[in-house]
Amino acid sequence: MNRNYLIPILLILSGCVAACAQDPPPSEKSRVDARYSLSIIDDATFYGNRSEPVPEVLNQVLVEPSLSIRSHGHLTVSSSLVGLADTYSDNYTQLRVKETYAGISAGDFDFTLGRKMVRWGTGYAFTAAGVLDPPRIPTDPTDRLNLNEGRDMVKADWVRGPHAFSLAWSTAALAPASASLRDTTAFRYNVLVRGFDTALIAGNDRGGDPFGALTFTRVLRQAWEVHGEAVWRQEAAVMLGAKYTISGITFVGEFYTPPNIPYYSYMGVPQAAGRQHYAFMTAGKARLRERRGWKQWGMSGSVVANLDDRSYTPIFDGSRWFGNHFSSYVHVDIPRGTKTSEYGAAPYSAATSVGVRFQL
Amino acid sequence: MSRINCVLRVFLLLFLIGFLLTCVLVSRAAPATPDAEALLKRSDTFRNGWASYVVRVKITDFESGRPDEEHLYEVSQKGTDKTYVNFMSPRQKGEHLLMLGDDMWVYLPDTSRPVRITPLERLTGDASNGDVARTNYAADYSPVFLRTEKVGTVECYVLNLTAKRKGATYQRIVYWLRMPDARPVRAEFYLISGKHIKSATFDEYAPSSGKELLRKLTLYDEIRHNSHSVLEYSGAAPRSLPDKLFNQGRSDMF
Repeated sequence: MNRNYLIPILLILSGCVAACAQDPPPSEKSRVDARYSLSIIDDATFYGNRSEPVPEVLNQVLVEPSLSIRSHGHLTVSSSLVGLADTYSDNYTQLRVKETYAGISAGDFDFTLGRKMVRWGTGYAFTAAGVLDPPRIPTDPTDRLNLNEGRDMVKADWVRGPHAFSLAWSTAALAPASASLRDTTAFRYNVLVRGFDTALIAGNDRGGDPFGALTFTRVLRQAWEVHGEAVWRQEAAVMLGAKYTISGITFVGEFYTPPNIPYYSYMGVPQAAGRQHYAFMTAGKARLRERRGWKQWGMSGSVVANLDDRSYTPIFDGSRWFGNHFSSYVHVDIPRGTKTSEYGAAPYSAATSVGVRFQL
Repeated sequence: MSRINCVLRVFLLLFLIGFLLTCVLVSRAAPATPDAEALLKRSDTFRNGWASYVVRVKITDFESGRPDEEHLYEVSQKGTDKTYVNFMSPRQKGEHLLMLGDDMWVYLPDTSRPVRITPLERLTGDASNGDVARTNYAADYSPVFLRTEKVGTVECYVLNLTAKRKGATYQRIVYWLRMPDARPVRAEFYLISGKHIKSATFDEYAPSSGKELLRKLTLYDEIRHNSHSVLEYSGAAPRSLPDKLFNQGRSDMF
């Protein structure tokens, strides 16, 4: 038998055996819990001074239903889809599967099979340790249109006291070719020690190099949180960040330095450029409740910079809620730098997105 | 001479007996200082009926007396220091909050990682995260009996609670508990700076799964005086909750 398929098969078999061996607590035997949500977004992006002969307006309509059913306290089936209709140089529609998975919970074990988003990295705008996470996009770290997709995987988790162990095998067979993913086997150990939420991650990409990572987060005093990642994959990558809260305003700063190897390849950065250094800063307030009439407004301003080629992108986000179901937003990014730099190479001088969102 | 001595002795004896009787009567008449710790623990049972339970909380925010927003939460609590809150309202669907001892995380679907919450962030919202997730005051605060006082027609014990662990939401709480069953009646909440930030009235109690539990609580914003929030509790029931539900490493399992 091919050794690459041994781990997923063992994970599936052990999940079935453990689930059969355990009964749910009596109080949860008849419990079936179904939850759903629906989000519809209409987003228009206006590009300023395009350097290519393409339309200056991109219109997108997204319909995002999700359904989760939890039965008998230990069986979960969940699906989250995105239907996308683009109007740009031509029209196209696409169905994306954000997540679709089945989970079995048995005693201290949880088993998952399907497409699932995991969140192992601790960075807000950058991560090197989140080997199975959705990609972080520093100019849109909140994934405004919810377009991130999970990885197709078999995963087993074992939780005992403050310790959590995860073993995952992810296949790249179903991923879009443009994602340039590989089959990944990864292990994670997470523990909370003296307020440090710490994780050790190790694994291997099929046909690639093995990797290892250490992540942590820690709250300091009343207003500070610090987080970081140290990763080894051919060479070291480091991310350090902090969050500070004052008067309801949250500031996040991150410094990130990855090696310039194909795994961390970035658009516009030549291979000869060597190790890259990035900085990210954001300040935001989710609700301007102190100002009369502004309670439903949220604002944030950010900047992401490549410190080596001195290119940067200031970003502004504003949002407003109308009742419990409708909201609107504006997102502006203004890349700056020379034409050969990472952010300056963007084929427009400014991108302004406005949208309305309905949530059920 | 001996007769004077005899009278004197009788007088002294009577004086001594009278003094002792007075002491006994006075000591019986003066109310003993109540056990503040016991009162606080008893008051917690009106908000936390079981060691492991689930309850739904609906929060309605009012601005200038008019209903403004509604939020719905499902709170799972185990012991005094493990709480998991599932956000159910459309605006917050997919969000979760985990409190584990002094540590708190919020899982937001639009950030690709669990977010550690600082103590100051626990105070965000009209009803703060801490108001929903931390209701075992005996675990978080050291109580001192202040006085007895009437709130309306209800005779109350008044306790001064001081935070004894960093996970506590407020630095100080002045807490009015009904005599004699220690049922919460009113509270005032203070920050480290001494600022009076909120007040609460515990408006309604109702039987739930065999226990008398808090059903309605109103929180008044003492900084923006035109705003208040009503918290309505329903469906409280004991539930066997696995420890792993409260593990920070399961962020992707929710």
